[in-house]
Amino acid sequence: MKILVPVKRVADPDNANKVKVSADGARVTSEGLEWKLNPFDEYAVEAALRLNENGASGEKLGEVIIVSLGPDEVQTTIRQPLAMGADRGIHVKADDAELDSTVVAKVLAALVAQEKPDLVLMGKQAVDGDSNTAGQVLAELLGWPMATFAMAIETADGGKTLTIGREVDTGVLTLKVTPPAVVTVDLRIVAPGSVRNGVTPDAHKYGEGARYASLKGIMAAKKKAIDVRTLADLGVTDGAVVTYTKFERPPARTGSVRFVESAQELVQRLKTEAKVL
Amino acid sequence: MTAPRSSHLFNPTEEHRMLRQTVAEFTRREVEPQAAESDRLGVLNTALFRKLGELGVLGITIPEADGGAGMDTVAAVIVHHELSKSDPGFCLAYLAHSMLFVNNFYHCANEEQRARVLPRTLTGEWVGGMGMTEPGAGTDVLAMSTTARRETGPGGDHWVLDGTKTYITNGCEGHCFLVYAKVDGRITAFLVDRDCPGFSTSNHIDKLGMRGSTMAELIFEGCRVPAANLLGEVGGGLVHMMHNLEIERLTLAAMSVGIAERCVELMVDYAQQRQTFGKPIAEYGQIQRYIADGYAAMEAAKALTYNVALDITPDSRNRVGSDAAKLFAAPVGKQCADYAMQVMGGAGYCREYPVERLWRDAKLLEIGGGTIEAHQKNLTKDLCRAAKRA
Ligand SMILES: Cc1cc2nc3c(=O)[nH]c(=O)nc-3n(C[C@H](O)[C@H](O)[C@H](O)COP(=O)(O)OP(=O)(O)OC[C@H]3O[C@@H](n4cnc5c(N)ncnc54)[C@H](O)[C@@H]3O)c2cc1C
Repeated sequence: MKILVPVKRVADPDNANKVKVSADGARVTSEGLEWKLNPFDEYAVEAALRLNENGASGEKLGEVIIVSLGPDEVQTTIRQPLAMGADRGIHVKADDAELDSTVVAKVLAALVAQEKPDLVLMGKQAVDGDSNTAGQVLAELLGWPMATFAMAIETADGGKTLTIGREVDTGVLTLKVTPPAVVTVDLRIVAPGSVRNGVTPDAHKYGEGARYASLKGIMAAKKKAIDVRTLADLGVTDGAVVTYTKFERPPARTGSVRFVESAQELVQRLKTEAKVL
Repeated sequence: MTAPRSSHLFNPTEEHRMLRQTVAEFTRREVEPQAAESDRLGVLNTALFRKLGELGVLGITIPEADGGAGMDTVAAVIVHHELSKSDPGFCLAYLAHSMLFVNNFYHCANEEQRARVLPRTLTGEWVGGMGMTEPGAGTDVLAMSTTARRETGPGGDHWVLDGTKTYITNGCEGHCFLVYAKVDGRITAFLVDRDCPGFSTSNHIDKLGMRGSTMAELIFEGCRVPAANLLGEVGGGLVHMMHNLEIERLTLAAMSVGIAERCVELMVDYAQQRQTFGKPIAEYGQIQRYIADGYAAMEAAKALTYNVALDITPDSRNRVGSDAAKLFAAPVGKQCADYAMQVMGGAGYCREYPVERLWRDAKLLEIGGGTIEAHQKNLTKDLCRAAKRA
């Protein structure tokens, strides 16, 4: 299969205290931030690699192309999936401020027209804005079937049909989609047995989580191509439809942790003091 | 929005940055969770060690053509720095394998020897180590008394080794060792493995810290080593040993930096959370002194270590630099661990937090790979010699 995986860099969630709001509240400042691959995108990369390989022998079964939008520094973001084993990258130059889910989806739609992948596999959302819309807008623009929040992907016939498991409140909902399709993934997609491609033997055990970029992978990534495009190259000239009017930090926490002696006392206090029962 | 300039010292290239990210992630996900238990048991986690092989870091300084990663001293420093934030003991086993054995072996071995040994040491199937120190020869290593003599005859062509090496990291799990012995008084390097008759190792030597790695004596009793296991020339051992000591010392310095950095992190966190007399202890001047002094010393040790790392390659040396880096950095790890313990009070002294373990681990860096007194002695000798020449 040919799989396109869009990835986004996000402020390192482990250093979230470095995220600052500008004095006028108009934007989140990015100075001095450490960037990381959005975790859900990393899971999408892992799922794409598992779909496109014989996990036991390492043989490749298809191509995985990584796309990212942003300033020149996002090439760094693209290198990591390349070091994990993806084949090549596309960097679409843009200012972070020009982008929203719709612009991103339009860019991806234009790239799909050029690259003709069988599958666009992406994270369900980026952990910065938590919008959870780019995949859905893209499927709509392409008129393709869509499966969101995938926690399992199975294919047995080289990708002619995909069986997708989605976790819902009451259990697992199973969908069949016929590629080309858009699939967005959830955390569980990187559990050891979540991706089955009919080639990797069932006995093969993947580790828990996305694979590390090995040193060999890192050295190989240096030689992999990253094509650079602009929004204009791809005919995306309309601006963002979402405008952000104001950012503010969550209010400082008030109150304090209190310990109670018994469950009875807790219920009593929730009734009389907190008045939530 | 580009990275601060100083980060070029620590991550000179994109590959270095990615290497750091991979090792940091591996450390967080897999090394940290097992560190306390390995320390308690006093064992090397060999399964985890083999995962270092899968990551490709066991041959970090070995050229790609020979199956390694083809990276430089800075890269080696990065791996030691990151691993030591969680488990310096495990990192010491890595150092003994990758720096003391693999890197050292590579530079004195011939093609046949490399082909025979590298594949299985780069995956971690074979754990390696290096034997220099003896019960009667530590700082004065040239006084070593292990001997080797050649024996040819109907039984084949062999070297016969007699003597004992001690405090050898990976001595318990190790399969192959680079061993220094004297041939007619001249220091010579040999490859000795478990298949050599007359070679054995002692029981595990128990120790204060660095308990994620083991150490033992290597015992040679008329030990027969095939002639093909002579590394380099007879009498060539000294030059290899001295050269390799530079990257060893620098990576040991990097371990101390890792310990220091983790301890600063721990005390900063704790000092904000812990309240006494109605306010966080971070607001007390005495606590601020531990945090600020610790941080400043750690940053200085880090900058010195990475700066010297730029100068050490297979063809260029910086002995003064590597001695200075280890001399300066070793006490900084110990100091920061001590500061962190003080800031954390009773909690710091208890096993629930990693500080007491790091505190025990940190002391080794003032002893192993050369005591601080040895660095003071060597540095002064080198500086005086250079001044005379000028
Ligand atoms: C955990 C651990 C792991 C180790 N791993 C290895 C290994 O893998 N391979 C290996 O070969 N070795 C290893 N060693 C040995 C280590 O390198 C030696 O312990 C070290 O070189 C010091 O030697 P020593 O212990 O004999 O101390 P000594 O040389 O006996 O020193 C005792 C004291 O005297 C001081 N001293 C000695 N000479 C002088 C002098 N001229 N001037 C001033 N002071 C002096 C020393 O600084 C020290 O304070 C390891 C040691 C430890 C503790």
